[in-house]
Amino acid sequence: MLKNKKFIVILSAIMVFALVLTGCGPNNPEGDNGGGGDGEAAKDSLIIAQGADAKSLDPHGTNDQPSSRVSKQIYNTLVEQTVDMELVPGLAEEWNQVDETTWEFKIKEGVKFHNGEELKASDIKFSIDRMLESKEVAHIVESIESVEIVDDYKIIIKTAKPFGPLLAHLAHTATSIVNEKAVTEAGEDYGQKPVGTGPFKFVKWDAGDKISLERFDDYYEGPAKLKTVVFRNITEGTNRTIGLETGELDVAYEIEPIDKGTVANHKDLQLIEGPSLSMAYIGMNNLKEPFNNEKVRKAVNYAIDADSIIESVLHGAGQKANSPIGPRVFAHNDTLEPYGYDPEKAKELLKEAGYENGFNTTIWTNDNPIRLQIAQIAQAQLKEIGIEVTIEPLEWGSYLERTANGEHDMFILGWVSVTADPDYGLYPLYHSSQHGSGGNRSFFTNEEVDKFLEEGRVAIDAEKRAEAYKKAQEIIVREAPDAILYYQTQNVGAQKSVKGFQLHPAGHHSIYEVSFE
Amino acid sequence: MHKYIFKRLLLLIPVLLGVTFIVFTIMSFTPGDPAQLILGESAPPEKVEELRAEMGLDDPFLVQYFRFVGNALRGDFGRSYRTKREVFAEIFARFPNTLILTIVAIAIAVAIGIPVGIISATKQYSLMDSISMVGALLGVSMPNFWLGLMLILAFSVGLGWLPFAGFEGASSIILPAITLGTGAAAIITRMTRSSMLEVIRQDYIRTARAKGVAEKKVVNKHALKNALIPVITVVGLQFGYLLGGAVLTETVFSWPGVGRLLVEAIKQKDTPTVLASVVFMATTFSFVNLLVDILYAYVDPRIKSQYSK
Repeated sequence: MLKNKKFIVILSAIMVFALVLTGCGPNNPEGDNGGGGDGEAAKDSLIIAQGADAKSLDPHGTNDQPSSRVSKQIYNTLVEQTVDMELVPGLAEEWNQVDETTWEFKIKEGVKFHNGEELKASDIKFSIDRMLESKEVAHIVESIESVEIVDDYKIIIKTAKPFGPLLAHLAHTATSIVNEKAVTEAGEDYGQKPVGTGPFKFVKWDAGDKISLERFDDYYEGPAKLKTVVFRNITEGTNRTIGLETGELDVAYEIEPIDKGTVANHKDLQLIEGPSLSMAYIGMNNLKEPFNNEKVRKAVNYAIDADSIIESVLHGAGQKANSPIGPRVFAHNDTLEPYGYDPEKAKELLKEAGYENGFNTTIWTNDNPIRLQIAQIAQAQLKEIGIEVTIEPLEWGSYLERTANGEHDMFILGWVSVTADPDYGLYPLYHSSQHGSGGNRSFFTNEEVDKFLEEGRVAIDAEKRAEAYKKAQEIIVREAPDAILYYQTQNVGAQKSVKGFQLHPAGHHSIYEVSFE
Repeated sequence: MHKYIFKRLLLLIPVLLGVTFIVFTIMSFTPGDPAQLILGESAPPEKVEELRAEMGLDDPFLVQYFRFVGNALRGDFGRSYRTKREVFAEIFARFPNTLILTIVAIAIAVAIGIPVGIISATKQYSLMDSISMVGALLGVSMPNFWLGLMLILAFSVGLGWLPFAGFEGASSIILPAITLGTGAAAIITRMTRSSMLEVIRQDYIRTARAKGVAEKKVVNKHALKNALIPVITVVGLQFGYLLGGAVLTETVFSWPGVGRLLVEAIKQKDTPTVLASVVFMATTFSFVNLLVDILYAYVDPRIKSQYSK
């Protein structure tokens, strides 16, 4: 009997332990606001879902989209880019270019950080110096040689060489301005204790689950309409749509192609679609046979029907590409004709190149489901002109490493020209100095392209830059180092009661103007 | 008994060393460069080299391993490559979520599995037995993610009773726990049934019945206790399995647990996070096993006498 009692005692101890643990679970102060929203007049808490948790809210510590989407609400940059990709003053009131390599910025006065400190020139110098030290984001500001403080509200930025896209780079979320004191105090944990000047301040991060933000009443442009914003991490795309349907989410990023109809046709929901800055392409290893032959690369371009990929894989959420940079990017060359789908011409080109009977090759992709489907379509379409393709899915780490080493034949990747400047979209992918891990995984080499890309980078005059980039695009498309497929359309699903939500082509949308009707 | 527990705890040391060594080896020898992953798709080779050197990735494998062990002994599991957060803090924030989910799931599984198993065994070949056995078969065969989605469709979308995802409070646990517990419930049911069937045919049960002991007492007192040993083993194993194998359920319900953290970390070759998660899980698993062995002693005095030796 005694033993039985002990057994019961142990069992109850386990039960109590379980109960205590359950009690320790996160409480949700915002939870009661999570309803559909139709009936509630004073709803001022927005719940957004995205497909991954942010990595870090230190803008200089990471450059991934989920983090940028949250950081965007917490921080500001010197220059800001509107949804029309126009460069407008952010924390800088105005700027002027003193000479080819010297820029003077006047900083807005009276801007407050979330910790009560006032924004001073020293914070900007501190931030830019910190970016330059960062492994993750230094490449965005690497053109900057020095930042000099003139007085509390004036700085001078000097670039080592003339650098045309400087303003666009200073609008990148990775160049967000941080508070020196807050960074120093938080030390290595700054990524979990962010302090910015933005419309929302950081409140709490439930790792892997959600990040809660609260309105910053002293925001220099006036307080936001919403009181709280919660970014939830809902991995499965379909679940984000379900969350919209049940009313537990107000906004869901990246609705799956297959769910778009559900959202668009739902009586309480709206589907917001717009262009993005991302491009998808099938790369070919220009150093390896047979892809060192331009005719073969062109044949591949003619053999792959981008329209059918957009239709079947993206359910129409894309636009056929005619250049590596899309129409939203500065100096997009709209006179270029995309390679049409023409298998006969492709066969002819193969014959001219000496591959009348085709050849065997492999196409690499990572486990991204869209890329896997593209690989399958490409495989079927290339087979029609006699090219036998084997699909090899690789895990992301080895995919990056091995394509950087040039071990591949063909591969599928995408590129986002985040700054909407052609330098960001073309230089890494096509300049011969960027072979391999730099971004040029096609190992494309063309002296003329190199020259134009360098010209565009150092020129300050917009027209001159545009001219150089348009020429570069022309040569790239003509030489066909890769098969450019499409520019992806981005989408967001939201409750109909959500007003003022605007898609930013770079993918990080500002919540400042959002409200409920 | 105490000596036995102490011995078992000591055994944890070689177990953890072995586990971390295996995981470390796998992480080191699979392709994919963490430095390249951190820097992304466009990073000059010099930068990658520089970062590799800084992270100590260029050191020989064994040097790296023993550096990890040395730091871990001092309680320092390092910082995540991805989030730069202290790995221990990250896991500690998430581990309770996994543990709660597992405990509730196992509780559901036991609450269903043992009674149904007993009824099935005592009423062998009855309609009740057939129904529960078909149910058990379904429970084992149903893929987790599918069951999860169906439950979401029914209880979140259809009826609107329960949250569809995340950890928004106590009601959030119900659906993922049912999803996770169903398979275990099925296994426990089958185990209880077969174990009971075996015991119920023993001579001493016949004797008890012959003595005129009430059937209820025969089943609950005489038979069940002896049938419980293999059931406890299975429950313990299932507990450990659910603890580490909850990834699918965690993904379907966006549950902020360690399983998903581990998978994300493996994909990103975030070795510190992977190692620390594995150490955590292995330790918990070992403790659960120890607890199971201690439970044996309370259920079966014969085993307790063995422990004392």
